[in-house]
Amino acid sequence: VRRARLGIGAIVLAGLVAAVVSGCGGGSSSGSGTIELSFWDGQTQRAHKVVEELVGEFNKSHPKIHVSTNSGGVTADTMLPKVTAGLQAGSYPDIAYIFGSDLANLAKSEKLLDLDEATEDGELEWDKFDQAARETATVEGKVRAVPSLVEDLAIVYNKKLFEEAGIPFPKEGWNWEEFREDAIKLTNSSTGVVGTAWPATGDEDTTWRIWPMVWQLGGEVVAPEGEKVGYEGEAGLKSLTLIDELAQAHAIYLDTSAGSERINQVFNAGKLGMAMAGNWALPEFVEGGVEYGVAEMPSFSDEPITIAGPDVWAIFDHGDEARSKAAIEFISWFTAPKQNLRWDEASGSLPTRTDVAKLPEYAAYVKSLPHLDTFIDNLKNARVRPTIPQYPEISKAMGKAVGEMLYARSSPEEALAGAIEGGNAALSSTGIP
Amino acid sequence: MEAFASTVARPPRRRLRERLLGEHPTAWAFIAPAVVIILGLTIVPVVWSLLLSFRSSDLISPSHSVGLGNYKALVHDKALGAAVRHTLIFTVLFVPLSVAAGLGLALALDRRIRLIGLYRTLILIPFIVATAVQGVLFSFIFDQRFGVANSILHRFGLPTQGFLGDPSQALYIIILIALWGSTGFCVIIYLAALQDVSKELKEAAAVDGASRLGVLWHVVIPQLAPITVFLVVWQTLTALQLFDLVYATTRGGPLESTVVIVYYIYLQAFQLFHAGYAAAIAYVVALVLIGLSAMQIIYRRWRVAHP
Repeated sequence: VRRARLGIGAIVLAGLVAAVVSGCGGGSSSGSGTIELSFWDGQTQRAHKVVEELVGEFNKSHPKIHVSTNSGGVTADTMLPKVTAGLQAGSYPDIAYIFGSDLANLAKSEKLLDLDEATEDGELEWDKFDQAARETATVEGKVRAVPSLVEDLAIVYNKKLFEEAGIPFPKEGWNWEEFREDAIKLTNSSTGVVGTAWPATGDEDTTWRIWPMVWQLGGEVVAPEGEKVGYEGEAGLKSLTLIDELAQAHAIYLDTSAGSERINQVFNAGKLGMAMAGNWALPEFVEGGVEYGVAEMPSFSDEPITIAGPDVWAIFDHGDEARSKAAIEFISWFTAPKQNLRWDEASGSLPTRTDVAKLPEYAAYVKSLPHLDTFIDNLKNARVRPTIPQYPEISKAMGKAVGEMLYARSSPEEALAGAIEGGNAALSSTGIP
Repeated sequence: MEAFASTVARPPRRRLRERLLGEHPTAWAFIAPAVVIILGLTIVPVVWSLLLSFRSSDLISPSHSVGLGNYKALVHDKALGAAVRHTLIFTVLFVPLSVAAGLGLALALDRRIRLIGLYRTLILIPFIVATAVQGVLFSFIFDQRFGVANSILHRFGLPTQGFLGDPSQALYIIILIALWGSTGFCVIIYLAALQDVSKELKEAAAVDGASRLGVLWHVVIPQLAPITVFLVVWQTLTALQLFDLVYATTRGGPLESTVVIVYYIYLQAFQLFHAGYAAAIAYVVALVLIGLSAMQIIYRRWRVAHP
């Protein structure tokens, strides 16, 4: 009897181990002939609901594949730690939403599918995707992911505050000097109005807004040879100096909140003249009720170069060709024009494909938010950050320099020297800091 | 007969199964779930991260061994030095203040007055509120331009402050928030301990003419000493592991002024892809924590031996 009981114990134990090991996996191609795919979309609320609707339609029309979607238990900004942990544990999804700036590091994994074949045989209509988004999804010349979402930065301004300050609205082709003057004129300490705002946490949120200035001045994030940063000299110095001048004039609201959501709230409170904002913020501005206008990025040159921040769908290899094929089939369907446009509207993305403009529903999409058209037009001026593994460290070095400007803790020259040193160290890094 | 004699002479060798599983092998069936959980969630990660700390790994591509390289690198890491400094400032202020405030409140609540149950519950509420919620709540209160804190200062004609937006204040504001959140824990522990303080001793001291303050100082507080030691150690362990509050309020900013050790580990592992290096820092922190816990155990044993 005792032996029998021990046997039960062993079975319980084995069952538990199996449950723990297989618990979070999900997705397989064995069993009843349908291929199971797990899809971590990382979305919340409306975007997630639309993903569920689309996936439901796909499952109906594709009986051989069954996609189960969930948010991955995390939102997009904490997806990376979850996916890396999953890759380590051997329990990862088939498809996940990944920030464009994280792709280069993720691409070091052999488990991230190489999509060159799928794009060459035309299953994935690669040339129909937006140029900036394609660039982000390409690592070392290979297509490693599919663009999921694209956004760019422009200047959203409060019309009433401009009128009260007696200054004309920003015009096409305006420059940073005008931006600086407007910001200072808009700032009014007695009413609590401030000219513009900048995220001050020192992370990528702080950093990425400076790249358009650097690019306009002929600089780069990384120099063409790839061994040094490309923001030495005037490109970096003039950009940092502009931020320094705005900070010295107290014309800049420093948002230290995690995720820098306070800027939008300040704008909605009618206390912010100009916000350097992405199109994702438009729904919030509409809800806030402030009458706003949108202007393209100011420029240092003639070109109003801005920055786009594309994110991607990463597809993972589970050592099963049929399963990988099914995942590509699903994502090709999901990003096809019709579905793409529905997803763009729900997620607040600009069109990740250029051919959606031909769809009859496109006009309604453009009108779905006031001034969305400016952001869409702006996309042709947009450049992207390089998809390289050292980018997070370069971002940290530059974020620190911008932070020092915002808090007036050092001169632009000193801050730039630090950013160059940090960035160059990252580019020659051996893996140990 | 001879066989019988030999068994009497020396006890029988226990069978292998019995030696491995003990006299009651069925017990294993009952503790198996716990064993799996403890092995899976504690022992395995501990060993795994020790191995990781000797490698250069980004958790994504194949790693390679660097021997003690990670440990050597952390000695020269200036940013880590700053994180250690921030953590120490936090600990040195947070631990004594939370323990002292806990004792004070517990003494105030250890009496029979009306609505005492309500007061005790209210003191506990901040301890129950999730750290993320605390973070959001206090970022609103301490917002530079629109926060309640500055509007109160303004009303009294005092200069407004940067609070979480000021590199020289942010860490101290986080200490304040942490105090608000965790003093309740010290209060309950002290309240429980106060029930154990011998009434006879207090009465005897009072009969001998000790003032209320005298009774508190010479009778009550010495009797609370083991609990105080426990709380100091516990709060120190909590302070050294600070992460969630920083993540929810400042993400290490402004100007890296609130980067504490565990937040730095997170940055290294999950933002900068230096998982091996992060594991090495985590191991050094773990050794310090184990050392502190060991000191408390030694103190307890010593106290039992020298009552």
